[in-house]
Amino acid sequence: MSARRAPHKRAAFEPLAPAVTGAPDMHRPAATVAGAVLVFLRAAAGMLWAFGVAFELPPWLQAVAAASGDASDGSSPLTLADFDTTPGVFLGVLGFVALVQVVFGSFVLAGGNVARVVVMVISTLSIIGSFIGWWEFGQDITVRTTLLTLSLDILVLLALSSREAAAYARRPRRRRRERRRDGARTPSSRRAVGAPSDSAG
Amino acid sequence: MTARRRWSIGRALDGFFFVFAGLAAIWLAYLSFTASFSLGWAGIAMVIAFWVLLAYLVLPRLHRILTAVYVPDYFMGRTRTSDGLLGDPVNLAFQGEREAIEAVMAAAGWIAADPVSLRSSWRIITSTLRRRSYPRAPVSPLFLFGRMQDLAYQQEVAGSPAQRHHVRLWKCPDGWLLPGGRRVDWLAAGTFDRAVGLSLFTLQVTHRIDADTDIERDHIVGSVRAVPGVAVDVIRDFSTGYHSRNGGGDSITTDGDLPIVDVSAVGVSAVDVAAAEAGT
Repeated sequence: MSARRAPHKRAAFEPLAPAVTGAPDMHRPAATVAGAVLVFLRAAAGMLWAFGVAFELPPWLQAVAAASGDASDGSSPLTLADFDTTPGVFLGVLGFVALVQVVFGSFVLAGGNVARVVVMVISTLSIIGSFIGWWEFGQDITVRTTLLTLSLDILVLLALSSREAAAYARRPRRRRRERRRDGARTPSSRRAVGAPSDSAG
Repeated sequence: MTARRRWSIGRALDGFFFVFAGLAAIWLAYLSFTASFSLGWAGIAMVIAFWVLLAYLVLPRLHRILTAVYVPDYFMGRTRTSDGLLGDPVNLAFQGEREAIEAVMAAAGWIAADPVSLRSSWRIITSTLRRRSYPRAPVSPLFLFGRMQDLAYQQEVAGSPAQRHHVRLWKCPDGWLLPGGRRVDWLAAGTFDRAVGLSLFTLQVTHRIDADTDIERDHIVGSVRAVPGVAVDVIRDFSTGYHSRNGGGDSITTDGDLPIVDVSAVGVSAVDVAAAEAGT
């Protein structure tokens, strides 16, 4: 009897539509854009701090630069002498770090899930580091020290962990970069993965 | 089979980051709050930053986490906000095709709302502040069946979006039955926005609604009943038990009746003609 009636009735509860995967044609949500922009800002803050250490900046810019970096107490601004390197090497290393951040930010903007998770892992580690320093060692976190970078980390994490950003990064799509599992399912995407133009991204 | 799998490392990670980000945001709110004391006049900007952080990031994320735990996800005559809080009550039902509903609502003097976008959001803010008319002002998303509303209509009251009649409609899933076994094609939630204020639960700027949702429900029914071909049936005491608060913390009272507006007998072309005649 129940078998006969079953097709006409739905369950009393609605299945919780897991917003974990979006529609293939979904628009890029604001959360994804915000996350990527914050990653870019993080890179810009890092470069500003590097320039602040390497060169003489106007006082107001010096203050911003100090806040962008990891000055633990903010007592005396760091100079290049503290690092024992040439300006070229110093700026080169930090420029490379910023470049990596920009690349990851671009992947996040394009909707890559691997890049999103990697950025979230790095932000999480950075936040945990700041928290341990604050809780265990009493480091001050104020506007003059690391509040700016910490806010950027937390805002990045908030934006990229939101449901919309997750749904966008996990949406099924025709052209695939990092998830071969989807590519194996549809013939068109298998072709796209093998296409030479796709590897340029 | 693997596509339907409920648990995966990726999802578990997502869940962890979702909750961790909420906790980190609480910490950030605390830090910015304490920092505002030591900044003199700049502290005022810091307090505003603290409110923005709290209202638009921290509290929504906390509500999202907690409501996912304790608000059951079956139909209970209430819509839900994007944070998962219980929203406006479902107090109307429709029978009929989408085109017929659109035609009837247009003929009854209802105006479809713009979708929420950066531009429409900015425009509703400026027109509310300057008391300008914005008849197509967007309405905030509410969720039923896990979906945002399919249709939204409104009527401005005093020439500004601060006060308005509005109603949201959701298409029911195929074969879905109301509690009690009746079949309807659409469910709707109509409430009257009486002013702009702060939400009790998230502290966000939002519309406060009139507590007596029956007045708005009867206003909607009365306006569409005038359209020829529309029939109205009522389920008495459908949701008598749902006296409560909506997603913004405004109290709601209702007699619990659920009118079912049947527009399936309305020919779309006939309504268009009637509307055209009324307009000329």
